[in-house]
Amino acid sequence: MLAGDRLVIGAVRRSGPWPAVLAVTAVVGAAGELAIPYLVGRTVDAFVTRQPDGTPWLALSAGAVAAVVAGESLGVWARGAGGAYAAATLRRAVLRHVLGAGTAATRRFPGGELVTRAGLNAEEVGRAPETVTGALALLVPTVGALIALTLIAPVLTLTLGAGIVVILLVLRAFLRASTVISGGYQQVQGEIAARLVDAMEGARTIAAAGTAAQEARRVLAPLPRLRAHGMSLWRANAGAAVQSGLVVPLLEVAVLIAGGFMLASGRLTVGELYAAARYAVLGASLSTSLGFVGGLARARAAAERVAEIFGLTPVAHGTRTLPPGPGTVEFRDVAVDGLTVGDLTLPGGSVTAVVGRSGSGKSLLAALAGRLADPGRGAVLLDGVPLRELSREELRRAIGYAFERPVLVGETVSEAIAPEAGEAVSQAIAPEPGEALSQAIAGGRGEAAPVVEAARAACADAFVRRLPLGYGTPLRDAPMSGGERQRLGLARAFAQGERLLVLDDATSSLDTVTEQQVSRALTTDRRARTRLIAAHRPATAARADQVVWLDNGAVRARGPHDVLWQDPAYRAVFQGTEP
Amino acid sequence: MRRQAGEADRERSRAGEADRERSRAGEADRERSRAGEPDRDRGRAGATVGFWRALRREPRRLAAMGLWSVLEAAPAFLIGHAVARAIEDGFARAEPVTGLAWLAALGVAWLVAAVAARQVVLCVAAVAEPFRDDLLAHVVEGTLRQGDRRDSAAVARATLQVELARDAFAAVVTTVRGFAFTVVSVVLGLVTLAPQALALVLPPFAAGLALFLASLPALARRQRTFLLADERLADAMTAMTGGLRDIEACGLQDRAYERLDRQVGDQAAAARSLAGVTAARTAALAVGGWLPVVLVLAGTPWLLDGGLGAGVIVGTLAYVTQSLAPALGGLVQGLGVSGVRLAATLRRIAASAPPTPQRRPSLRPPSCDVRLASVTFAYGPHSAPVLDGLDLVIPEGDHLAVVGPSGAGKSTLAALVSGLLRPAEGEVLVGGVPADRLDPAARVLIPQEAYVFRGTLAENLAYPQPPAGLKERLDEAVAAVGVRELVDALGGYEAPLDPAALSAGQRQLVALVRAYLAPARLVILDEATCHLDPAAEARAESAFARRGGTLIVVAHRLTSALRARRILLMDGTRVTVGTHDELTRVSPLYADLAGHWHPEPVS
Repeated sequence: MLAGDRLVIGAVRRSGPWPAVLAVTAVVGAAGELAIPYLVGRTVDAFVTRQPDGTPWLALSAGAVAAVVAGESLGVWARGAGGAYAAATLRRAVLRHVLGAGTAATRRFPGGELVTRAGLNAEEVGRAPETVTGALALLVPTVGALIALTLIAPVLTLTLGAGIVVILLVLRAFLRASTVISGGYQQVQGEIAARLVDAMEGARTIAAAGTAAQEARRVLAPLPRLRAHGMSLWRANAGAAVQSGLVVPLLEVAVLIAGGFMLASGRLTVGELYAAARYAVLGASLSTSLGFVGGLARARAAAERVAEIFGLTPVAHGTRTLPPGPGTVEFRDVAVDGLTVGDLTLPGGSVTAVVGRSGSGKSLLAALAGRLADPGRGAVLLDGVPLRELSREELRRAIGYAFERPVLVGETVSEAIAPEAGEAVSQAIAPEPGEALSQAIAGGRGEAAPVVEAARAACADAFVRRLPLGYGTPLRDAPMSGGERQRLGLARAFAQGERLLVLDDATSSLDTVTEQQVSRALTTDRRARTRLIAAHRPATAARADQVVWLDNGAVRARGPHDVLWQDPAYRAVFQGTEP
Repeated sequence: MRRQAGEADRERSRAGEADRERSRAGEADRERSRAGEPDRDRGRAGATVGFWRALRREPRRLAAMGLWSVLEAAPAFLIGHAVARAIEDGFARAEPVTGLAWLAALGVAWLVAAVAARQVVLCVAAVAEPFRDDLLAHVVEGTLRQGDRRDSAAVARATLQVELARDAFAAVVTTVRGFAFTVVSVVLGLVTLAPQALALVLPPFAAGLALFLASLPALARRQRTFLLADERLADAMTAMTGGLRDIEACGLQDRAYERLDRQVGDQAAAARSLAGVTAARTAALAVGGWLPVVLVLAGTPWLLDGGLGAGVIVGTLAYVTQSLAPALGGLVQGLGVSGVRLAATLRRIAASAPPTPQRRPSLRPPSCDVRLASVTFAYGPHSAPVLDGLDLVIPEGDHLAVVGPSGAGKSTLAALVSGLLRPAEGEVLVGGVPADRLDPAARVLIPQEAYVFRGTLAENLAYPQPPAGLKERLDEAVAAVGVRELVDALGGYEAPLDPAALSAGQRQLVALVRAYLAPARLVILDEATCHLDPAAEARAESAFARRGGTLIVVAHRLTSALRARRILLMDGTRVTVGTHDELTRVSPLYADLAGHWHPEPVS
């Protein structure tokens, strides 16, 4: 059995009573729907011929109608509620798994893909029970109607069968035509969107020139073509709708005519004629119910895609804590796909710069140092403890990371810097900062102290204070340039890592002056943490205690910058990058 | 290829230190337009007005739609009669030809109705397409007015909303119209066929309809709640996957999961509550569609006693099951799904684009000197001011460079002088006119991100208004700014431009020539040359210095300052003005900057 199918079955099993409710309602509804034409026909016949047993038929008809109504209402409710429950359960598991797998998940799937799988696809899997019962609820009456019609008169079924073939052919022809036309429509749409994006790039120019209306006209220039494509799409739509919409009524008329002759010759009662006409209409919707079967195929495909996420291996953490220590990092015979490090020690409290051309493995080394990636061979130790054996909390408390393009997590700026202290700060700030806290923030004291101190070290304090709500500004209301985001990312690393700071190209967007200030804060870290800095600029390497020079996925040399600088190949590493 | 794109990004963000100020400038604009807007529901009202306007705009289409609808509804009227007469007068009396004739008539009516249905679709389309155009125009204008607050993904979402609205609009018009005509036809048919049966059919039908209409507001509310919860969940998941590395690096998995868990729970709860109301809607449909059938059946003995034949009973049933119930189902679908979606998307579209702020008439200044008198500006009530009591006079013809560390407020100053921002206190005057009321043609601002649109080079240079004698001056301007090579490489003035194919530096060159040609006598270059190499920057800036008028240059490199007559040094809220030599003497910061800001080669 495919993993996806197991997932669907699991989703059905974990949905509580809903699938059972769905199945019952579907069966009851389908049976009722199938019985109604027959029962109504019998009722009419009974009353017309003044038979005494008309009332029981009426009661049965009413019962069948009640069954259909109850089945449908309850079914709709069960579909919605059960689907929501199943989707939510599955989605929680997917999200937990993705978080557990960490960066391995984004290495395997692009971010948008993960969202689609956890969002849309989980929803589709959640709908699997509904799709199955929905297909049943449609298929049973349609197939049953055909059987019932055959029982009344086989000729009528043949007429109907021919009609259904016509419907399918028409629909197919429509699908082919509309793909071509909607392609043209989408192309013009894309053109308008591209023009709009161009104009947005120039938003400031447009605002300064006061020409928003003029530019809107320019963006919308292709609109007439869009409308032309739209109209031909409508025409194709209308034509096909007419053809398919004609078939069912014409079928019914044909069945009525054939049945009428049988009525005239006494082979059919009035009630049976009515039933035959209804069964013809019911049976004609076979193509729609076949569409529902396609829905099941979609759910299976979706389940397959969700199952792939569960194939990711989550990161396993140990339970050990760190002994007291200066933050010495040891690489022991470390190698991973794309980078061989061998043995390397970053003495506690020292600054190590990693240099090398793009693609030489700097980021990978940085990832290994703080266990954002595991080595394929060997081990990385922090103060003598292999990183794999550390508990997650201990690991993350000890090591702070800053990235070239940090993604800030949290509601407010202060939470983005230090999640726990920051939450207290932002709660106290919103909506109006208390006087005492404002002073605490201004002075960087109390609960605000770690946040403000880290921001100062990262040269972020001044610009944060100019945000609409200062440290309490929600991140989504604080548009930031790349350099500002980098500085908050640095502040976050400063606030977090107790023993080791890993900076992966984390100052690349800063202007020269700010970069120098940040570097000064880094090299004179008063908590004397071990620092590993992947960098492009020679000045950064010059200030480091040792430089690790990576070339082509291997350590080419190690030593002080001024010694390495004698080597022209080393100097060449920095050429083509900004000073 | 990917790597190159990444580097271009990085370069952009490196050069884009002042982005934040710009974005906030946009935000302040919004703030201002919101302040001028008396009630926040105005946008919503505007959108619903858009709905009725779209309907009313083409009365002839509407009339045609009505006529075709009558034909389309003909079978709904005829079906009961045809079935009844075919049985009563034809087949039951062993006169099959009569029966055949009635049914043939019904078949012909269906054929005519099918043709009419096609015409109706086209009429609806003719109303829906202009409606879509309106919405798209609204979205585009709104986006442009809001400027850089939104990203291209937001644009994609907005265009998707417009498409949804169009489809929903067409569905609502089609189904509501179809329902109305069908109901009228059925009532007419019943009145003429079996008036007694009306008493059995109409009350439950009306009850079902009323039940449905009563559930509609709740349905709409819950649908909206669900859409919002779903969107928030999607946003939260997008944020999580985007920040997965950072979440792992900071050990924030549990926090991230907690947040997502809440969103997942909210979305599921919204879906459940929506399902409840949908079930009620289905019940309403059942009451309106099925109850008449049961009542007609129960009343059959009574109807027969009243002299109606068996065929008439079947005809009456045909009215209910073939016409009335499907029409009600269509209405429920049309209003309950498409109508609710239409309302939700229209509200969203209206909210995404604020109404046009009223523009006060702009004033043409007699001169172009700039005066700032005790100008104070902050981006929020709790934020530190960027400018605090700034006094500055820039006489006509001055060449001023603005320098300072990133985030010191240089771009804010540029936005204030160009009238994009208004000071909280103090005033900014250009030629004696408040900067935000200045005729846009009197000054030109070139920001870091140059605006180049799809069109020919000449069209791009003629933006926003073709200056007098453009053709004759083109070559001179191109030579002065030093863009000859680029113009030739692009294939001359009439060559079409693809903005995406130009580098950031090339786009800046186009914008510089455009500004050079503009009649404005106040030119503000806000890091407008940051993507050029130092030599090209020097040539462009000298061209502007020779061009005449007042020139303000927000410097990206210190060399820009060296070319200026005076230099404005911004550092926090401390502001110093002087020449290079003066500043080197009096300002340690300036000396520091001068020490470090070597001209950088641009890679």
